[in-house]
Amino acid sequence: MKKYLGPLNKENPILVQTLGVCSALAVTAQMKPAVVMALSVMVVCACSNFIISLIRNTIPPRVRIIVQLLVVSALVIVVDQLLQAYLYDVSKMLSVFVGLIITNCIIMGRLEAFALSHKPIPSFIDGLLNGFGYGLVLVVVAFFREILGSGTLWGYPIFPDSLYAAGYLNNGLMILPPMALILVGGIIWIVKR
Amino acid sequence: MSAFTNRYTFLYVTILVLIITVLLTGVYFGTKERQDANRTLENASQILKAAGYGVDKTQVQQLFEEVAEIKKTENGKEFYSVITPKKQQSFVVPVSGKGLWGPIWGYVALADDWNTIIGVAFAHKSETPGLGDKITEEDFLKRFVGKKIKNEAGEFVSVSVEKIGQKTASDINRVDAVSGATITSKGVEEMLFNSLKEVVK
Repeated sequence: MKKYLGPLNKENPILVQTLGVCSALAVTAQMKPAVVMALSVMVVCACSNFIISLIRNTIPPRVRIIVQLLVVSALVIVVDQLLQAYLYDVSKMLSVFVGLIITNCIIMGRLEAFALSHKPIPSFIDGLLNGFGYGLVLVVVAFFREILGSGTLWGYPIFPDSLYAAGYLNNGLMILPPMALILVGGIIWIVKR
Repeated sequence: MSAFTNRYTFLYVTILVLIITVLLTGVYFGTKERQDANRTLENASQILKAAGYGVDKTQVQQLFEEVAEIKKTENGKEFYSVITPKKQQSFVVPVSGKGLWGPIWGYVALADDWNTIIGVAFAHKSETPGLGDKITEEDFLKRFVGKKIKNEAGEFVSVSVEKIGQKTASDINRVDAVSGATITSKGVEEMLFNSLKEVVK
């Protein structure tokens, strides 16, 4: 059990392994996209881990990265196409993330580090938890960026109008990517202190 | 290692690619009809939204047939003649261009003077969540209502999308951009200029 819980503390993909920072900057301006991205990565990471683990003994080592990339992109595209056909509203929200998910290095990283050397079910769980560990950081960063940058939470305003009348301004810097980097850096600092 | 000869590697990758190709092609053609239907419905609801209708998904098709009609300009560009909820005549012009990461598109509803904007609806493929994707939100769209695409001299100038505080056009020809999404906002500006000039004399 202990080996699965790594991503939630000692081996968090973003905080300790510094993987997936690029997408963490892109989708954390607000809570909603951050949660959607977190869920998507959990699903894709778990499923691709499972599939790669199933075929792990047949993959020629020299082309394993190419094989991983093929499986991950095929998986993501199939899901995207099915959503566009059957759940159009969800797909409108998710289509933005397709490119970000395929190239997310956490997924590739887990395939390399775990799925290639473990059985399918443990790989599935590992993918799920790594996605969760990633998502957790995303949501924390998005929480601060949305409150301070837009004055909203999950799209709902949280500061009373009187505060704005008194001269309070949303911090525009918070919604720009550099601030996400600083926040992630801050969290890493606190965690590793 | 020796179990994986060159021959095996080539065969493995070839077969894998073939399987994936067949799978993706199958999924594409299997779902194409439904996807197209979804898109047509989405476009219809955007056209109605631009013209000021609050749209309920289940009634889009019926409402669209009642109030909208497709027309063509002399140079062959399509637009829609739509009766607004206030029983005004409006002309809804499709616009398309590019944002930061991919295509953006939408509809602009003009009053029958071909000048005053009644409403707009925008959509995008892959603008940044939380920044560029705000161009589809009500808060941004409502900034266009009542703006004009011609200046006081009656020349076509489109609508500028400028940073808050920046003013290169008169108030009636400009709106505030989305903060943090400069390139997407400029994309909207270019899209409006390029697409509208084709249709508006």
